[in-house]
Amino acid sequence: MRVFGAMLVDAYRELNSKKLFWVILAISGVVVLGYGSIGFDAAGVSIGFGIWHVESEFLYDGSVLSTIFYRSIFASFIVAIWLTWIATILALISTTTVFPDFIAGGAIDLVLAKPIGRLRLFVYKYLVSLLFVVLQVTLFCIGIFLCMGLRVGDWDPLVFAAIPLVIVFFSYLFSVSVLVGVWTRSAITALLLTILFWFGLYSMNQTEAILLTVKTQFQLETEHAAERLAALEANAGDEPDETTTSRIAELRTEQQEAEDLVARLDTWYRLTAGIKAVLPKTGETIGLLDRWLSRDSDINIMDIFTGNVQADGNGQFSLGGRPDRDREAQRRVQAVYAGRSETYVIGTSLAFEFVMLGLAAWIFCRRDY
Amino acid sequence: MPEAVIDIHDVHKTYRRRIKALRGVSVRVERGQIVGLLGPNGAGKSTLVKILMTVVRPSRASGTVLGHAVGHKPTLRRVGYLPEHHRFPPYLTGGQVLDFYAALAGVDRSTRRVRAAELLEIVGMTEWKDTCISEYSKGMMQRVGLAQSLVNDPDLVLLDEPTDGVDPIGRRDIRDVLNRMREDGKTVLLNSHLLSELELVGCDHVLIMHQGQIRVEGSIDELTHDSRRYELVIVGDVPDWANAQPEIDVRPTAMNEPGMSMLVVSGTEASSIQPLIDRLRADARTIVRVQARRDSLEELFMRSVINRETGQVDAPGAYTGNGGGA
Repeated sequence: MRVFGAMLVDAYRELNSKKLFWVILAISGVVVLGYGSIGFDAAGVSIGFGIWHVESEFLYDGSVLSTIFYRSIFASFIVAIWLTWIATILALISTTTVFPDFIAGGAIDLVLAKPIGRLRLFVYKYLVSLLFVVLQVTLFCIGIFLCMGLRVGDWDPLVFAAIPLVIVFFSYLFSVSVLVGVWTRSAITALLLTILFWFGLYSMNQTEAILLTVKTQFQLETEHAAERLAALEANAGDEPDETTTSRIAELRTEQQEAEDLVARLDTWYRLTAGIKAVLPKTGETIGLLDRWLSRDSDINIMDIFTGNVQADGNGQFSLGGRPDRDREAQRRVQAVYAGRSETYVIGTSLAFEFVMLGLAAWIFCRRDY
Repeated sequence: MPEAVIDIHDVHKTYRRRIKALRGVSVRVERGQIVGLLGPNGAGKSTLVKILMTVVRPSRASGTVLGHAVGHKPTLRRVGYLPEHHRFPPYLTGGQVLDFYAALAGVDRSTRRVRAAELLEIVGMTEWKDTCISEYSKGMMQRVGLAQSLVNDPDLVLLDEPTDGVDPIGRRDIRDVLNRMREDGKTVLLNSHLLSELELVGCDHVLIMHQGQIRVEGSIDELTHDSRRYELVIVGDVPDWANAQPEIDVRPTAMNEPGMSMLVVSGTEASSIQPLIDRLRADARTIVRVQARRDSLEELFMRSVINRETGQVDAPGAYTGNGGGA
């Protein structure tokens, strides 16, 4: 523990010396301040500590929707955009030099000459390198927790679930950065390849989501066509006229075409999902926070924005009466994602991370410096 | 036989592209010795030191360091090391550098504090202990590096070019530290290009490496014994009778001694040159000086790295098997 403690203190000193660390912390402070500037009064929502005011029949002081809205801003926007995109890119820029600097000639000699095994040294260095994100996210979440409590009276410690989630999310990408950094000894190569890999992951996630959504929409289409066909056949009786027969044939063709398309889409979807299974699930990992925070309500922020909410007059709200096909498709897609357990999402991603780190550790331990 | 601190045999190291950095090196260093490791660039000195420090993995090696097999990590708790071109984290102060590396070496907190303060005092860096090392000069960095190598109170210290970039005052201070280590009974393996430094330190033993092998080893006295001689500088040409005597060697004088001649007689006994002095006096020749001499480490070094076949100094670099360096 003495060695780990020394390396942890060293990592903190290194962070302390980096301007970028403080810049990100300052921007985080501004984001928290912006979040805290949103408040509710009897007539609606105020933004910028009252500079702007928006009247709303759903969002007002004491409304359940206000709490859902406030939580959703955190989970769907602040975490999803600031913490998992902008802050992560800045964190990668800041930490990508850690391993190349660590193994640079003249520096690595000093640590390898100490009575510490190389693997242990590697693992410790990796863990303390995550301190950057640990500190940033922890301070950020404390700010968010206070905002939620003070603004809508929602003192939910589940906000702090963002800390491990963002750390594991970052660690998936950082493991790639470490592998490339140890392999090439170049920080810039590590950063570029990690961002390229991340872009690849994003593309894969988007492709899978699009294929799943389109497939689901066509599935609904076939179900709808089948319903219409069944209704038409029932009404037609035993001897349908020529127009009805033609319409039935047309519907059967449409149904068959839609089923064929669904089958083709399903093949591509399974292929994409199969590839994705072994890759880190960055989006879904962060999505777990939204899943946990919105566990008590069917209403999400998009329902509030699109007005798909109805009040019962007793201060209770429910989803609006627009169960159209898109909504149903969205519900089914969300059900697919929700069906993937936390263990699967994080477990498979960590398995990928372990493979990356295993390779990096192998190179680190075998190399002559 | 005295206890061996380093006792390694048949150490080989072949890097990629078949560069043979070490070709069967065997070294024995006894407790309390200061051993100088010499050799041209690419001779394999740093590779040998790095193998001892587990920074480089040998292709083949046997033997022990402080009684344990080469590569035994816990043994490094008793070893200090200053690598060549060392690079400390630039955000640390001198005091923090010592504390950090001492912690990595397993030294407890209270001992670290006391030891760091002592060592900074010894290397003359106490006033700079709270200054970030990014502001240090090369010489200051070497001083802190030296302190770092001693922070775990090691039995064996390996120093790779410790005086590199250090001014004469700093070198003297480092020599003082080395002498102090000798007094404390520590064993030091000193890798340096500055041969005069090694002579001033008074190494007990010298190893001269070339192309991955130990070419010459022994104490400076042993290695230079055969070169011991008396040099007599006289005014004017060499007398004819002196030219005719095979035991008298005639050598050119220094550039700043025009019109003079040098007569050289091998041997360590002063009595051996008395007849020559008597004869010169009888001839009324003016004797400018008489000096007992032996080869310097540099002369010994140069002799060791000359290719016996070509009579020339080999190109610097490791052995590649085609006769040249790499």
